Amino acid sequence: MNDQRKGSDAEPTTHFGFKNVPESQKADKVAEVFHSVAAKYDLMNDVLSGGMHRLWKRFAIELSGVRAGNRVLDIAGGTGDLTRKFSHLVGPTGQVVLADINASMLKVGRDRLLDLGVAGNVEFVQADAEKLPFPDNHFDCVTIAFGLRNVTHKEDALRSMLRVLKPGGRLLVLEFSKPTNTLMSKAYDAYSFAFMPLMGKLITNDAESYRYLAESIRMHPDQETLKAMMVDAGFDRVTYHNMTSGIVALHRGIKP
Amino acid sequence: MLLSALLASVEHGLNRVLRLDSTALPRLAALDGKVIAVDCRNPALQLFILPSDDGLMLASHWLNEADCTLRAPASSLLQLALSQDKTAVLHSPQVELEGDSGVLLDLVKVLQDLELDWEYELSRWLGPVATQLIAGHLRSRASWTRQGVASFNQNLSEYLAEEARTLVGKREAEARFSELDELKIDIERLEARIERLARSLNSSDNA
Repeated sequence: MNDQRKGSDAEPTTHFGFKNVPESQKADKVAEVFHSVAAKYDLMNDVLSGGMHRLWKRFAIELSGVRAGNRVLDIAGGTGDLTRKFSHLVGPTGQVVLADINASMLKVGRDRLLDLGVAGNVEFVQADAEKLPFPDNHFDCVTIAFGLRNVTHKEDALRSMLRVLKPGGRLLVLEFSKPTNTLMSKAYDAYSFAFMPLMGKLITNDAESYRYLAESIRMHPDQETLKAMMVDAGFDRVTYHNMTSGIVALHRGIKP
Repeated sequence: MLLSALLASVEHGLNRVLRLDSTALPRLAALDGKVIAVDCRNPALQLFILPSDDGLMLASHWLNEADCTLRAPASSLLQLALSQDKTAVLHSPQVELEGDSGVLLDLVKVLQDLELDWEYELSRWLGPVATQLIAGHLRSRASWTRQGVASFNQNLSEYLAEEARTLVGKREAEARFSELDELKIDIERLEARIERLARSLNSSDNA
């Protein structure tokens, strides 16, 4: 899956939902969406997924293999659901870095974690997944949950994640994917193009952001494509687990 | 996914209960970083328990090696969950322990020593005055019920043993049992003596 669709004489374009936009504009447009939804992000996640996002994240933590003393990077960590759990698992001798490109999301996540008493082994970094500001071979585990589809150059991001991982380190990508069941797929389409923007309008007064969310999910590579992208980036033993009939998939790869 | 959902609900409920005992979470903090695998036989099911100062985390998968593995049939695990004397259940023959059993024994001890402060939880919802009134009333009712049950038990056993003579009294039964024990020992002695005599008769015949 290549995001770059170069015109003959114009700037390369990429998708933003179903629209094509110049590459330089995608990050700003995604930022606008997340600035808009940051305050009610957790509430919307619970409403739209019926609380299922907690189970999906829980499964990611179970497969992370994180233990005391590990160094973990939670990219696009948003409001810090995974960071909170990792902080307990790595203990005082470990370290968790919550990174997000969006300042509003990072601020909400930092305030929330501090309010929950999660501190000491957690750092907050505003960073672009494509150009991670960390040394090579630094982390035992890198996770990106519901963030990769918003990245402009996914291949660059995967390579950047590979670089910062230690050999033997794990990358976990939790992301919406393609339902494996036709009936479920139809129901899911109806749900995401009708119900999600409506709830977005009612709760955050912002139907557009949730329309983008639904569209960006459809444009994201399916299970096999993402697996191939991870292999191309240099990951070894790449596997994926479908959850809720493939609505969400957890991809896992090891740095050789 | 269904198991994960079930474990998440159990974990949530369990941690709420653990928070009712002010000593439980600091004691669990000592087990932070340990992994206990519970391998249920019949039906086959595996789960992992990770204690921390935040409570217990229950997982259906865990990649890292467990510090201690508990293998037991579902009936023994249920007994372990419900029994007052959990250590006795752990020592039963159906239960197998592998690895550092100290981790599991420490966890079991924390769960066994739970003293839940229900009044504190109630006061969060109803306020201190109402809680005091309700708790005082409940305490006196509970004490009255305990006394009533103990007195009824004593009266009933006295009636059945002493008046109706339907059952044998405890002391009477103990006396009979001790007589039976003595009789049994006497018979064994007699048996040994007969055997010795028989052996000496055999040896004199051979001579």
